[in-house]
Amino acid sequence: MTLYSLRTLRGQPFRLMFTIGGIALCILLMLFLASIYHGVREGSIEYIRANATDLWVLQGSQTNILRGSSILLTAHGQVLNQVEGVSAATPVVFLLSTIKKSGRTSTVYLTGYDILAGTGGPPVISEGRSVLMEGEIVLDRSFAAKFGINIGDSVMIRDCDLLVTGLSEGTNMFVIQYAFVTLSQAQALIGYPGLVSCYLVKVSRGFGVEKVSMEIKSELPGVEVYQHEEFVGNNVREMESGFLPLLYAIAVIGAIVLTSILSLILSMNVLERRKDFAVLKALGSPQRILRRIIFTQSLTLGWSGCLAAFALAGPLMGVVEFLAPEVSTRIGIGTLAAAFAAAGAMSFLSSCIAVRRLRSVYPLEVFQ
Amino acid sequence: MNPAKSREVVLAMHDVSKNFSTGGQSTFAVRNVSLEAKRGELVMLLGPSGSGKTTILTLMAGFLRPTSGEVRLLGNDVGTCRPDDLQRFRARSMGFVFQNFLLIDALTVTENVMIVQEFCGTARKAARGKAGLLLQQLDISHLGSRFPPTLSQGEKQRVAIARALANNPEVILADEPTASLESSQAVEIIGILRRLAAEENRCVVAASHDGRLRDQADTIVSLRDGKIGNISPKA
Repeated sequence: MTLYSLRTLRGQPFRLMFTIGGIALCILLMLFLASIYHGVREGSIEYIRANATDLWVLQGSQTNILRGSSILLTAHGQVLNQVEGVSAATPVVFLLSTIKKSGRTSTVYLTGYDILAGTGGPPVISEGRSVLMEGEIVLDRSFAAKFGINIGDSVMIRDCDLLVTGLSEGTNMFVIQYAFVTLSQAQALIGYPGLVSCYLVKVSRGFGVEKVSMEIKSELPGVEVYQHEEFVGNNVREMESGFLPLLYAIAVIGAIVLTSILSLILSMNVLERRKDFAVLKALGSPQRILRRIIFTQSLTLGWSGCLAAFALAGPLMGVVEFLAPEVSTRIGIGTLAAAFAAAGAMSFLSSCIAVRRLRSVYPLEVFQ
Repeated sequence: MNPAKSREVVLAMHDVSKNFSTGGQSTFAVRNVSLEAKRGELVMLLGPSGSGKTTILTLMAGFLRPTSGEVRLLGNDVGTCRPDDLQRFRARSMGFVFQNFLLIDALTVTENVMIVQEFCGTARKAARGKAGLLLQQLDISHLGSRFPPTLSQGEKQRVAIARALANNPEVILADEPTASLESSQAVEIIGILRRLAAEENRCVVAASHDGRLRDQADTIVSLRDGKIGNISPKA
């Protein structure tokens, strides 16, 4: 019956083409959302992951750096450096800042870090160099592309002119991008030189991370101390809590549309081939064979649409990233495999809906 | 061949009536029909349009359940069989030939004959071999790769007969098998059905309004207004 299933689909080439196209668009939408999710996820935590410190020390009650306002003092750093087992405690400042360039303004997640310690800076410099002194800034590559900023250009934050010395990658959080200056520059921009956002703590060899963490909490009761992986997890959850529900909602709508399109097309096929199904029933076809016809058609359409979506995904992502550089998209094999499986599941569901049409086909119809 | 088995009654209707209720009114399509059909016999249900020929065929196949009476096919009470059993029964023991052939246009001639074998779980290779053999027997082996819309009416009906024989059924039910055919083709087709009964010892029941075919039948059941007017076995 596979031949029958495929030939009846091929018998309506335009419908076949439009159906596969519609399915491809639905899957493309889902792939696009998944790729944005992965892009944002990576962009949001790449900075944290790249700074593979042992402990993150933040103000009490703060769990992450994406949507939190941790405020600590340089005095905390002095205490941290006194704690037994702490090899180094490097301060980092985070603040939302407005960048001006040629009359245009935009907000960046400005990060001030200790250039001598080398910790807390950009994960990857893709072009140019890192900051070496005050008056310099490294921008996220997609941010720079969006605003047409090149290395050697000047941008303004508050009343301070900063020279763009490099472009970074892994620093695009979709809604906002990181920018990097020296620690003292960031503190000067805040206006309070004694403020920092958090400390990145390295534990001395031979000391247990857990033990040092407990020691810090004991010395500084008003701070939160997180081990690295825990802190990464905190930030992922924070990013997902604001972003995933929206993606899920759109993905579910896409899945419903796909399932509806497919079940309607399959139901239409059953009704148009009503005579064939009545004949097959009259000749003694078991229900499973009739169901298999619809299931084969459904999977053929679903997976053809899926493959078409895979073929279109690469070029589409390229166009999107060209038109909107801040939109970071990533598609991995896992995402493609999940899309393929989802297409199969939706095809199965659609065929279950369409199979119900068979109940209204009676073998007696062949005698009319 | 065992002579007793060769003339065994395989299909029997005992005082069967079928009425349809529409809009509160009850109409009898078939009333108090009793008849028997044996192996090796071609039974012709003859009568004008609306006389109940097709209703009797559908009762025999279990597509309709009798309002009263009993239909027994190969010892089974068709009227009380479960749908799944009926489906298996139709696939294995009954072959159908329809007035409009009702071949599957999307399948080739060979595939049309193979498809019913799939219902019985026959392996693809064996089904293809059997289809080839049947097409050869019906002198249409050269049409195996053609699709039904490209065939003549007579060729289509031969394919339909090959399909009906694919699972080697004991009973063949034919509804107006010659109605869509030219006169010469009609004679050929009824000759084939005659041969299936006489030479292959099958029970063939054909409904027709074509009186010219009565010479080929072993038993002629004349119908009028849903009732049997006359049953005339040939000597």
